[in-house]
Amino acid sequence: MNQQRRDFLRKAGLGAIAGLGAAAGMFPLFALEKTDLSGFSEKPMPGKVRWGMLIDTRKCREGCTECIARCHHDHNVPDFGKTKNEVKWIWKSGYEEAFPTASRQFQQPEVKERKVLTLCNHCAEAPCTRACPTEATFRRWDGIVSMDYHRCIGCRFCMAACPYGSRSFNWQDPRPAVKELTTAYPTRERGVVEKCNFCAERLVKGQLPACVDSCPERALLFGDLNDPNSGLRRALDENETMQRKPELGTLPSLFYII
Amino acid sequence: MNNRIQAMYALLIAVAMFVAAWFFMQSVHGGPSSARAAVAARAAAPVAIDSTRCVASAEWMKSHHMQLLNKWRHDSVREGNRTHVTSDGRHFDKSLNTCLGCHASNPMFCFMCHEYANVKPTCWNCHVSPMEATK
Repeated sequence: MNQQRRDFLRKAGLGAIAGLGAAAGMFPLFALEKTDLSGFSEKPMPGKVRWGMLIDTRKCREGCTECIARCHHDHNVPDFGKTKNEVKWIWKSGYEEAFPTASRQFQQPEVKERKVLTLCNHCAEAPCTRACPTEATFRRWDGIVSMDYHRCIGCRFCMAACPYGSRSFNWQDPRPAVKELTTAYPTRERGVVEKCNFCAERLVKGQLPACVDSCPERALLFGDLNDPNSGLRRALDENETMQRKPELGTLPSLFYII
Repeated sequence: MNNRIQAMYALLIAVAMFVAAWFFMQSVHGGPSSARAAVAARAAAPVAIDSTRCVASAEWMKSHHMQLLNKWRHDSVREGNRTHVTSDGRHFDKSLNTCLGCHASNPMFCFMCHEYANVKPTCWNCHVSPMEATK
């Protein structure tokens, strides 16, 4: 290599480093973007909401599907009639399917047979939002893991990433499979993934989510996890609760009383 | 002599990097303020729809309604900024339902023009069109 060129590169490199160094020294701290810790923090963030839910499985009545019927009706969730291509936003699973890693040995047989209401956990560290290549699914400012169906390309990475099975794929056109079409909410189309949206469309109108609203036993409690005075946080203070697969570090916003 | 020229180059590059870094920081700084506005908008008060006049002139809407709808979707879905303020100070909810609130009175409103222009937007693959809603 030409000696002159090497000298030039050396000096240019030093110059670049010096320039960046000078820049770094001159920026005040406030010019740098702050990391938003509201999703992780135990403490409340002023002005920041994180919606969450507490499900009391003791109150949830055996065989009752009020919330499921209401949610699936309100959101035009199709019913293809087969479990193979089932689309579900909220459903009931067995205790051991919902909490496969719950560590208690010799759990009470009554609890083991209990059906647990499951839906999207709206994780603070949602793995689906990291897997999505198009940012079709993302964590909103209020903690809801939301979906923009316009952007979904149907790659199903999010379904593979979700440890809770909260996402369903539309293998066929869902419109004909919707029993009673609700005009207040859109349907989806073939080739997109869909999931629970924590009733974002109702929250914006100041209403509670449809499942919470429709539960005849008042087994579901909805509220702001970042507000220490919310009914939800007080209920969490008073009760022994658990989250699904907490060891994965997804920080679910759904809590269960067993 | 040659050395001095090289030193000049090094200085020039240093200044260039500084300026580039400065502009980068400026652009990043603009980011989070929109997120803060989103949080403020979470308790969006219901907006009464003024159905006497559209959000923009008919001429502009004819050529730009798709851009407007794209922007509204981005603002309301991702940023949580649900209120559109027109240049003359009227407020609208950023939602397709705002449009349909008036235009669905003629169920053929969208279709006639799209048919004429031979464009096939995919809106109604998911959204319930006024044709279906009146059924």
